[in-house]
Amino acid sequence: MMTDWNAMSDADFRKEVRGFFEAEYPEELRNLPHRPKFAEIAHWHRKLHAKGWVAPAWPAEYGGMGLNAAKLLIFYEEQQRWGVNRGRDMGVQMVGPLIIKFGTQEQKDYWLPRILSCEDIWCQGYSEPGAGSDLANLRTRAEIDGDDFVINGQKIWTTMAHDATHIFMLVRTDPDAPKKQQGISFLLAPMDQSGVEVRTITTLSGETEFCEVFFDNARTPRENLVGELNKGWTMAKALLSFERIFIGSPSLAQNALGQLESFARGRGAFDDPVFRDRFAQAALDVEDHAALYARFADQLKRGETLGADVSMLKIWVTECFQRITELMIEAAGPDGGTIGPLQVGNVGVDVLSSFYKARPGTIYGGSNEIQRNILSKAVLGLPG
Amino acid sequence: MLRESARTLFERAGGSGRSRKLRDSGGGWDADMIHELAEAGVFGVTVPEENGGLGMGLAAGGVIAEEVGRVIAPEPVVVTVGLSLGLLRRLCPDHAKLEQLVGGETVLAVAWQERGPNGGPAEASCRYADGKLTGGKAWVVGASGAQGFLVVAQGDAGPVLVLAQAGADGLSVEARRQADGSAMGELSFSGTPAERLASGDTVQDALADAVSDTTALAAAELVGLSARAFEITLEYIKTREQFDKPIGSFQVIQHRAVDLNVMCEVAQSGVREALGLMDGEADPKVRARLASRAKARAVTAAKKITRDAIQLHGAVGYTDEFDIGLYLNRALVLSAWLGDDAYHRRLWFMAREAEGAA
Repeated sequence: MMTDWNAMSDADFRKEVRGFFEAEYPEELRNLPHRPKFAEIAHWHRKLHAKGWVAPAWPAEYGGMGLNAAKLLIFYEEQQRWGVNRGRDMGVQMVGPLIIKFGTQEQKDYWLPRILSCEDIWCQGYSEPGAGSDLANLRTRAEIDGDDFVINGQKIWTTMAHDATHIFMLVRTDPDAPKKQQGISFLLAPMDQSGVEVRTITTLSGETEFCEVFFDNARTPRENLVGELNKGWTMAKALLSFERIFIGSPSLAQNALGQLESFARGRGAFDDPVFRDRFAQAALDVEDHAALYARFADQLKRGETLGADVSMLKIWVTECFQRITELMIEAAGPDGGTIGPLQVGNVGVDVLSSFYKARPGTIYGGSNEIQRNILSKAVLGLPG
Repeated sequence: MLRESARTLFERAGGSGRSRKLRDSGGGWDADMIHELAEAGVFGVTVPEENGGLGMGLAAGGVIAEEVGRVIAPEPVVVTVGLSLGLLRRLCPDHAKLEQLVGGETVLAVAWQERGPNGGPAEASCRYADGKLTGGKAWVVGASGAQGFLVVAQGDAGPVLVLAQAGADGLSVEARRQADGSAMGELSFSGTPAERLASGDTVQDALADAVSDTTALAAAELVGLSARAFEITLEYIKTREQFDKPIGSFQVIQHRAVDLNVMCEVAQSGVREALGLMDGEADPKVRARLASRAKARAVTAAKKITRDAIQLHGAVGYTDEFDIGLYLNRALVLSAWLGDDAYHRRLWFMAREAEGAA
């Protein structure tokens, strides 16, 4: 019989999750500074899979933990607290919920177990060179040819595509639709074929986690269409509900603040009253953000749906995270441009890597400017 | 419940329009309003039920303070709940003045700070001996309308809390006019008769805790003020047209409005959380740190919101005719009182360091 996690008290559940992570999570994988390829974390994934904890948010009938919003937040909080890597979770976070919500029984039976076991590893094909903030402008075409869709076009910023077996993508299936949001469909496609080419993009920090994916008459069977043809846009929007609070969670900023504090202390930066004040500002920004986050989390726990106002969490915390890492660079003084860990006492703090890590947050998941557009219209009711 | 009744009471009385009228007629408060507030239980919100109060916590006091801030009401609600009753309920809960304060029959100002030779705060040197006060006190809120003064002074054997009547012999009150039309009192005593209410270290402890409460309540008042200032501004940018469009349709205005809104919400959540935590905390040092967190956040938000509100109103924001200026002026006064954001970030940091070292 499956455990009914939701019936547990929050405190008991937290203890259970914390206990498992602390006992079983491999020490060498804690707080990984980069996104790992699957091979690097496969041994951890096997443990998680055996425990039945790969998909905390999925309903139990599909092999998930069936956690409600409150328990889910606790799970993620504990995951972040212990520095547990999220693994290659695009399948669990995005494809699974999509198939569970809009897929056929055949699609569920076939794909869901393969996501849980990581037999298939997924990447997300949304953005294109001409479709970033204006995602509905995407141009990658998929045309029906016999039993297949034939795909032509290009995706970009595809995280870890070079380590994925499959891609779930938004494609244009009706170029003549009157509005560009119409005529978009959700397709699943295998990466291992001659019509798909992946090139890595080197980022500012020298990492290669983002990719470009080129489709030149790539093919995928027609049964890999998820949901109705030309209804992909609405479905993609429906998937965003929970991510919107997750993306505004305080943990990244909290962790960075802890790092800043020990680094600044070790470097004697607190002797400077100006630095002290800026640290206090940043620390209070994090504390008060956490209070706002708790307000939205309580809404979820009461079973309410979050409104568009949840976007303010993302704006505040990503900008705050950046300020914290900028203070780390400042505290590093002349070492502020040095690659790799800087010694403070007997620990090394990689200030540049933290600085870089904080940059994309204000760009991805709907740039903060897009979030401000959303808030101004949907929450403040401003015209135009 | 508490919020709705406080809001209704203030709105029925005329909202911010009433506050403007009181300012224009000399800057006092409305005695009838004091009675109405007392009837609603406002002053006794944190006073135990056995002493005639509602027996609720600081968080409930914060709810009321937010409503006071929304209509920039000049009545000394935060001063009474936080300071005068904060001292009396801790030091002499059975004194008749407590019941009178709760019942709105009297208003007492609290004189506890002193000005040093260079104008800044100084250690207390105001003396109390043989039933008489000598020396001076500064930054006394509500000094012009109060029926009496609770004065913290140095007695023969440590600090004392005494009560001096308004108009007592040897008491002079200099009213310093504030940006919002209120008066801040500078008191000087020369042999002023006063009744001793309490003495010893408990006075200093009660004062410190009452100041923490008041600081946090002032933060809540600023949160309510900021929220309303933002609403007024939002309404204005939706209706003011230039280039044949509402100015709120321009993206640069929209993004600024969003930033102010986010600032408001963060301040509201942070301050409410701090007040709630203070209710469950007994350690006065931790309570002081939480109060500093609240005031630092509230002042940062209120300064930004009221100043940007003037900018978004354009030239009319600079006139006295539009209400938004009243909010800026009240924010200036509330920010300076009991310490601004930079001051409280300093206290907060020091408290955190001390806790970490302990």
